[in-house]
Amino acid sequence: MKKAFAGLTDKQIAESFVLPVKLSIRQQAEASAQLATARAKSLEQAKPVDKLLARILQLRFQLEDYLKSESYQPTRTFGHFLKEYQQLGGKKRKEFAYEINIHETLLSQLISDRREPGEQIFIRLELHSNKTIPASYWFRLVEKKKAYQLQHDSKIRQREKKNVKKSLALQEDDLPVF
Amino acid sequence: MTIRELRSGNKLAVSVEPVTDEDFKKLTVKRYFFNWKKLKGQPLLFKLVHPVSGDILGLMHLLDFPQEDRIEVKLLAVSVENKGVGKHFDRIAGNLIAFTCRLAIAKYGYKACISLIPKTELKPHYIRAYGMMDAGLQVYLDGRPLFNLLKKYIQ
Repeated sequence: MKKAFAGLTDKQIAESFVLPVKLSIRQQAEASAQLATARAKSLEQAKPVDKLLARILQLRFQLEDYLKSESYQPTRTFGHFLKEYQQLGGKKRKEFAYEINIHETLLSQLISDRREPGEQIFIRLELHSNKTIPASYWFRLVEKKKAYQLQHDSKIRQREKKNVKKSLALQEDDLPVF
Repeated sequence: MTIRELRSGNKLAVSVEPVTDEDFKKLTVKRYFFNWKKLKGQPLLFKLVHPVSGDILGLMHLLDFPQEDRIEVKLLAVSVENKGVGKHFDRIAGNLIAFTCRLAIAKYGYKACISLIPKTELKPHYIRAYGMMDAGLQVYLDGRPLFNLLKKYIQ
């Protein structure tokens, strides 16, 4: 092992490093086969609750990554993620609507983004997921869409121009470029 | 995701981010043990960053195997002052490995797996430190043990 690791115990090395290991072609094939066998056994032994947990964590992380990113994707709406959430539990729409105590029609409208969700929906989804997906994530998803729309709505700017009688005495040249 | 300053016992929230071209100027062998510059251009290179100073405390290179729903930790190192007995912070490597678990779950759902090829003498320590499972030449995490590591470091 490298000189740089002299004086470190194996435990200390493992706690701070993953070292490069070169395998021969034969060893690589052996390693792949061994891992495939071990994983097949793990998957076989996985309980339905483990699969559900993995799916809900997957949705949570996808939501987090999308909320963190600066880009807006028109297809990644509240309705899109709500549909994913409903489906990951293997629930029919009617059953899921019952579980969060809303009418099936309202659920369909929310999924197709024809209705805006209220705060109570965000909270019910948080409770339904046993807090795995916080209400604030659902809220921020709706906010992200609104922020994008507001930023790109030229009609409303045109319409509201007449209501601003006087603006700050700044010339366009004075302003930094955003 | 937090690391712990050993002198004060304080916890610090940290983030793991992709390594940028600018970072490579700082990635010396003296401080980070390996020639990371050789990996410039590789897609899955990450750094764990101090929240205040922006200092890079740990680095990791991953390989993605989409056909196997698996991500392999190919190389990982903490910075020189964070190894061994006198280290300033702990949990750096654990956070980087947990970050890999998060990536795998986000991409592969319930089939997600992370693995690494250990030096033989280090294998029992990876198993003990991160709850990894023994698959012969490799150690790996999937299913419940993978969730447990996520819970310990991220959630």
